[in-house]
Amino acid sequence: MRPATLLFRVAVAGRSMEPTFRDGDWLLVRSVERPPRPGEVVVARDPRRPERLIVKRVHDVADGRVTVQGDHPDPAESTDSRQYGPIPAEAIVGRPVLRYAPLRRFGLVR
Amino acid sequence: MDLRSVFAPRLVAHAHCDIPCGIYDPSAATIAAQTVAKMVEKITGSTGTDEASRNLFIRSVAVKEEHAQICKKELLILWSDYFKPEHLEKYPKLHDTFWKAAKLCSKNKQSVDAKAAADLQAAVKEIADIFWATKK
Repeated sequence: MRPATLLFRVAVAGRSMEPTFRDGDWLLVRSVERPPRPGEVVVARDPRRPERLIVKRVHDVADGRVTVQGDHPDPAESTDSRQYGPIPAEAIVGRPVLRYAPLRRFGLVR
Repeated sequence: MDLRSVFAPRLVAHAHCDIPCGIYDPSAATIAAQTVAKMVEKITGSTGTDEASRNLFIRSVAVKEEHAQICKKELLILWSDYFKPEHLEKYPKLHDTFWKAAKLCSKNKQSVDAKAAADLQAAVKEIADIFWATKK
């Protein structure tokens, strides 16, 4: 599933990354080129269903195991490492760099 | 050519809570509240003193107690797990409604009171109506 291109686009589905991303946001994602760092947002393969992509924020990296969490303040709104544990670093396919739609939410991803 | 289709991503990145919202349903609380009302009817209408009647009487009390508790539990699940802060913004009386409904569950355990049973059914219906409105 890892795209060979340097940049690819994804549509966000769901609300677990609110307020950073909302359901339906379109993101430009840079293919992974270095190990993840805590605090950055990543697109990764779902550890339970590798054909599916997830978008979450890295909370911790230890020995190639990456703890990811949704930004939503209500933990019930996100299924992430709090349920399925840390994901392998190899599961990460990219880092969203730009939210390009909707235009009123256009901006760099932090 | 439609610009939207040019820029639209072909991949989806999921940012979900995986618990399917379909598992939340006010029907269980509704049925429990109906059962409580039915048991109040049975208890009130029970006059016999023979063993079978006493057995039915005691069973009705036990079932009333059990289903009032089920109702409370089902309401709690909706309250704590289904409803979200944005629902509260739209329905500012939500907490109060749940609190009163939970109190009515307790009242129906403590008493044999047709009005309390009817009030509980009404309270659960109010919550069910809000629930279904949030699903639209």
